Amino acid sequence: MGTIQFSSVCKTYHGGVLALENVDFTVGEGEFVALLGPSGCGKSTLLNLIAGFEKLSEGRMSFNGNPVTKPGPDRGVVFQEASLLPWLNVWENVVFGPKVQNIARDDYEPRAREILRVMGLEKFHEALPVQLSGGMRQRVGIARALVMQPKALLMDEPFGALDAQTRLSMQELLLDIWQTLKTTVLFVTHDIDEAILLADRVCVMTARPGRITRDIRIDIPRPRSIDTLTTGDFTTYKAMIMAEMRGLHAHH
Amino acid sequence: MTSSRTKRWLLAVVLPIAAVALWQAAGTDGSLAGGALPTPDRVWTAWITWAFGHAGPMTLSPYVGSWAGAVGHSAERVAKGFAVAILLGVPLGVLIGWSRIVSAMVDPSIQWLRPVPITAWLPISLAIFGIRDFGAIFLITIGAFYPIVINTTQGARDVEKNWIRAALMMGAQPLDILRRVVLPAALPSIFTGLRIGLGIGWTAVIVAEMVAVKSGLGYVLWDAYYVGRMDIVIADMVSIGLFGFISDWAIVRLELWALNWRRLQSFNQ
Ligand SMILES: Nc1ncnc2c1ncn2[C@@H]1O[C@H](COP(=O)(O)OP(=O)(O)OP(=O)(O)O)[C@@H](O)[C@H]1O
Ligand SMILES: [Mg+2]
Repeated sequence: MGTIQFSSVCKTYHGGVLALENVDFTVGEGEFVALLGPSGCGKSTLLNLIAGFEKLSEGRMSFNGNPVTKPGPDRGVVFQEASLLPWLNVWENVVFGPKVQNIARDDYEPRAREILRVMGLEKFHEALPVQLSGGMRQRVGIARALVMQPKALLMDEPFGALDAQTRLSMQELLLDIWQTLKTTVLFVTHDIDEAILLADRVCVMTARPGRITRDIRIDIPRPRSIDTLTTGDFTTYKAMIMAEMRGLHAHH
Repeated sequence: MTSSRTKRWLLAVVLPIAAVALWQAAGTDGSLAGGALPTPDRVWTAWITWAFGHAGPMTLSPYVGSWAGAVGHSAERVAKGFAVAILLGVPLGVLIGWSRIVSAMVDPSIQWLRPVPITAWLPISLAIFGIRDFGAIFLITIGAFYPIVINTTQGARDVEKNWIRAALMMGAQPLDILRRVVLPAALPSIFTGLRIGLGIGWTAVIVAEMVAVKSGLGYVLWDAYYVGRMDIVIADMVSIGLFGFISDWAIVRLELWALNWRRLQSFNQ
């Protein structure tokens, strides 16, 4: 449940931009994988392919062994700017998914309430997205994905637009949630610290055409927390990944 | 708050009061421009009679106590024609904005027919519907339809891609997307179309009633002109402006209520 597989995947956009070339890449069940790379290297493209938002140009791609043809609630997506529906309040945004899927109210309501409580939003059910801070909006974005009980979470720089302090608390929240849920996570970021802190594996991408050049297993024991950022293990990994990324730069 | 509102009201009525005062002062013996135009006091008296007068069995003038009826006829036609224009224009606009195929099929025809003014539709309307209510409603619908459909299309085309992606990700079917994402996202543009459409609706009803029906403010306008009752003509014009203004105000109130989320947004940013 929740495995992601790319084999020899290429993606060419209209106008001939070759965004991905020959990507082979697997995310195992319950694994947390971070995709790390410079701007424009095709991280979002990769995520949008598996989400079903974009069509593949060449190669094969599957989710749980089935080819991906369209988006669906088994793959919860968290967008960079949250992308909540601005005319719906927090509660309506979170129950949008179950509602359009015609799931019984008794089934989703307690779950939605519990998730919003864990997210620290129990007092904000009635608030509109514009009335929330960036961090709160993103927590609603995560809640609306989790309420569908997806087999995988696809997160595209979900904390990229937040200030440093909010980002830390969001990372900690995500660690807590993931350590209990253990869903598969594909997490796009260009922040090395974030990648190491959160992930089981960090995959480093190069730009033009996008490729995965290194796949680094992060053997820092769990549960992790913000304190992990100051351990010796962490620093070792960071130095290694930085060297890797600098090396990539030197080649080009 | 209250005092600033009072101030706004005062500022708004300065020009009309000045114009009426000038107009009154320019006239002698209740008329000006060589007797072609009555002064405001004459218009006012005529209007009072038109609105509140009691027509007995011996009353010959049609302008006694018949104002409410004329207003009612016109307003009812505008409401009907406008409603039909909304029922056609909003769904069609959403479809054109949403689907490339529908857009390629329907949009060119709309753009092609749009330059034909409502007055040019009059002969056809008369030929098909004769001197009947339908003709007026038909013209109002045509006039209000274009701004509604065009603005709705614009709004539906500009929906943020990630809102649609988010809805798809949550399992929404195409109909859910249209109803729950594209329609609300297009609502600000739709309201722009409604305001313009309603304004054109009032123009259309007057044109239609002058030619194609025998009741309403437009009919009275033309009829009063023929019998030389310029006081009624002016009272009629002021009535049209008043009701156009009131119906526009009603739409703006509705918009403020329906687009509360957007008002907060622009206020915060
Ligand atoms: N819809 C599109 N049409 C054409 N080209 C696109 C499209 N989307 C992305 N691209 C191109 O594909 C390449 C990869 O883009 P992508 O958004 O996947 O990069 P990214 O790694 O997510 O970058 P960032 O970190 O800035 O978000 C870029 O060169 C971009 O210009
Ligand atoms: Mg991106």
